[in-house]
Amino acid sequence: MNDGLNLDWGVAINSLPILMSGIKWTIIITIVGLLFGFFIGALMGLARTSKSKLIYALGTVYVEAIRGTPILVQAVYLYFGVNQILLQTMGFKIEPIPAGIIAISINSGAYIAEIVRGSIQSIHKGQVEAGRSLGLSKFKTFYFIVWPQAFKRMIPPLGNQFIISLKDTSLFSVIAVGELLRQGQLVVSSTFAAFEIYTFVAVLYLFMTLSISGVLRYVERRLDVS
Amino acid sequence: MIIKVENLHKYFGELEVLKGIDLEIAEQEVVCVIGPSGSGKSTFLRCINLLEDITSGRVIVDGYDLTDPKTNINKVRTEVGMVFQQFNLFPHMTVMQNITLAPIQERKIPKQQAQKDALELLDKVGLRDKVNVYPDNLSGGQMQRVAIARALAMNPKVMLFDEPTSALDPELVGEVLAVMKDLAREGMTMVVVTHEMGFAREVADRVIFMDEGIIMEENTPEEIFKNPRHERTKAFLGKIL
Repeated sequence: MNDGLNLDWGVAINSLPILMSGIKWTIIITIVGLLFGFFIGALMGLARTSKSKLIYALGTVYVEAIRGTPILVQAVYLYFGVNQILLQTMGFKIEPIPAGIIAISINSGAYIAEIVRGSIQSIHKGQVEAGRSLGLSKFKTFYFIVWPQAFKRMIPPLGNQFIISLKDTSLFSVIAVGELLRQGQLVVSSTFAAFEIYTFVAVLYLFMTLSISGVLRYVERRLDVS
Repeated sequence: MIIKVENLHKYFGELEVLKGIDLEIAEQEVVCVIGPSGSGKSTFLRCINLLEDITSGRVIVDGYDLTDPKTNINKVRTEVGMVFQQFNLFPHMTVMQNITLAPIQERKIPKQQAQKDALELLDKVGLRDKVNVYPDNLSGGQMQRVAIARALAMNPKVMLFDEPTSALDPELVGEVLAVMKDLAREGMTMVVVTHEMGFAREVADRVIFMDEGIIMEENTPEEIFKNPRHERTKAFLGKIL
């Protein structure tokens, strides 16, 4: 008994404005989250190259704790768990979108810390010796000599992290962030056109990630990083 | 005496690499350090600008005691140029930027003046036309000559050379040695760790033979090459000449 496929792509097209508002938040959360994530990652990555055992341990605990737990758990922990404590003690809670941004920042920060650490440690120690032997301080040697070379090596893995974090924002649909997947779910719940809408949602994610890949390839070619 | 080394010991973990070095080097003197690999000659050189920390003993450079924790080592290093076996040019900077970075940052020389000085140094090493080139586009010999210019840009009182020609193709060694000979002729104080016996013989005021972490023998190049006194020196020279 088969009535044949009954697909209604018109519904999907009509829902585009709603999906677009989801895309907007997906992009905002990703970009703002990664900016903070890079800041956290740079500090923690540097901590992981430190000779001070305490600072090294700080960076290591952070990286291991965040890498060792799923981002979905981190988001739920923050939005439902931490918020419960905040409500009881301070009388306020973190709203979904800030919670999403915080989750991306903290999560990507751990991976970026490893990217930063690896890139810095890949710079030949002769570079540091050359800088120091010219009389440059530790800081100036790092700032003028190590960091620019290391940063160039960070670009490909950072681009990769960009794509991963963008996809990770879809998990925030469970904490009511109005990002792309969440908006898709809302449309489906009122139209029941699950196949059509989720096809659109998937294609839109793919469109975003492929765009990032394209930009990345261009930047890598320009900077000649291999 | 611009360099004074007293009873210098250096350990890497349990391994004693330098077993009590005593040496004085006068201004304008050119000292070549020779010896088999693993004899500690590079480590010794690197102690003179504290690229290796000193386990015990004293190293005094230009009046500064390097083993005194109060000594500002960055200040001392501006007076001691160093040239490395692997050149260690900064690959993300042009030749000009390589040379002017430290003078601008540490000597506080205005950028224009630093660039003018850099061009003069590049004339001296015969590479003025490479001023805007990145190190990747230079040959090994050219890289090492830029590295020498970079060290000279700080107007150092002493130049240290750590096997400056060992990483070069044979046909490129001459151009680097020629620059070093000019430098010696101008009266630069130089300490050169090298396997180039011809250079040592021609340019050095004094040759030091190191083996197993001590100075086995030191003398004028004529004496050390013609009449080596120590058995070890004879054996080493016998193998290498």
